[in-house]
Amino acid sequence: MIIKILVVLFIGAAWGITVGAGYVAFLTVFGIIPRLTQLTKTGSKIHSYEWSVVCGAVCGTFLFLREPSFSISSFILIVMGLAGGIYIGMIAAALTEVLNVFPLLAKRVGMDDRLLVLMMALVFGKIFGSLFHWMYFAP
Amino acid sequence: MAETVYIRMRNRIEKRLNEDVLLQDLAQVIAADALMEQLEAMVIYRISEGDRNIIVIDSTRIIKAIRSINQDLEIQIIGPAQTIIEVILKKKEASIPLFLLVWLLLFIGSALTIMNFHEDVSMQAVHQKLYKIITGKEVEKPLIFQIPYSLGLGLGMIIFFNHVFKKRFNEEPSPLEVEVFSYQQALDQYVIMHENKESMKKLDDH
Repeated sequence: MIIKILVVLFIGAAWGITVGAGYVAFLTVFGIIPRLTQLTKTGSKIHSYEWSVVCGAVCGTFLFLREPSFSISSFILIVMGLAGGIYIGMIAAALTEVLNVFPLLAKRVGMDDRLLVLMMALVFGKIFGSLFHWMYFAP
Repeated sequence: MAETVYIRMRNRIEKRLNEDVLLQDLAQVIAADALMEQLEAMVIYRISEGDRNIIVIDSTRIIKAIRSINQDLEIQIIGPAQTIIEVILKKKEASIPLFLLVWLLLFIGSALTIMNFHEDVSMQAVHQKLYKIITGKEVEKPLIFQIPYSLGLGLGMIIFFNHVFKKRFNEEPSPLEVEVFSYQQALDQYVIMHENKESMKKLDDH
């Protein structure tokens, strides 16, 4: 019995460590935190940002495993939704950048000077696709 | 003592077909005033039909040209060792239909990928669960969460690229611009190596 529990504990911890490390590696590749510190000129606070990500991940895990119920006003969801959206939007933007799609595309079609307008196509596409998904597409 | 001429080659210039390439187009020149005018107006190269749209002029060519008019000058090259000439065949006008096509392609592609992503990670279920955790009620479509989420998605991309349409948050170039710049630099580097006749010697060269 004790051995069973220990083995399960060990497997759980191992699983968590790999997923956590993977998540951090994923964030590092996209460079979202450096980008945010660069925009807000708060490079000295980068360690607090690291902790914020770690705490967020742990809280999220806790919420989804234990499913507590808070019965608060749903307006807090507006703020959470916006924050979540910005975060995923930044990852999506970083992904297109990592993959080097844009410089190539703009160069191929000879539109280096209209980069901004092309980028807006991506942005509006994301907003439209997301709204469409939630309001009509999702069952 | 020999007079010194300082020459700094430009990185990249644009020229039209059948135009003369003067030294002052190719490089910044510092020399004694009397010499300056003569040097700057010197024709180094003439772009003809036979040229490809990228020409690399090596600094050795300039040294040769200067020495052909005055043997006694001491020539100092500072900065890049060559200039890339981009021959503009006709004024580049991006066609509007093509542009719209690309725009729509990106728009639709972007919309579909985000929908795929949402389905892939079961985001609907996650949102429903989150709504239940916060409010204690169950709903099928937690739109109060999802609409801000959708707008935030666009906002996040704009923040990452540091653009709010034409306005920027600060003076730094956006990652996209840096990316385009490094791509251009890699291209230039390639062209310098492969189009510069001076820097390559092949077996069948005459």
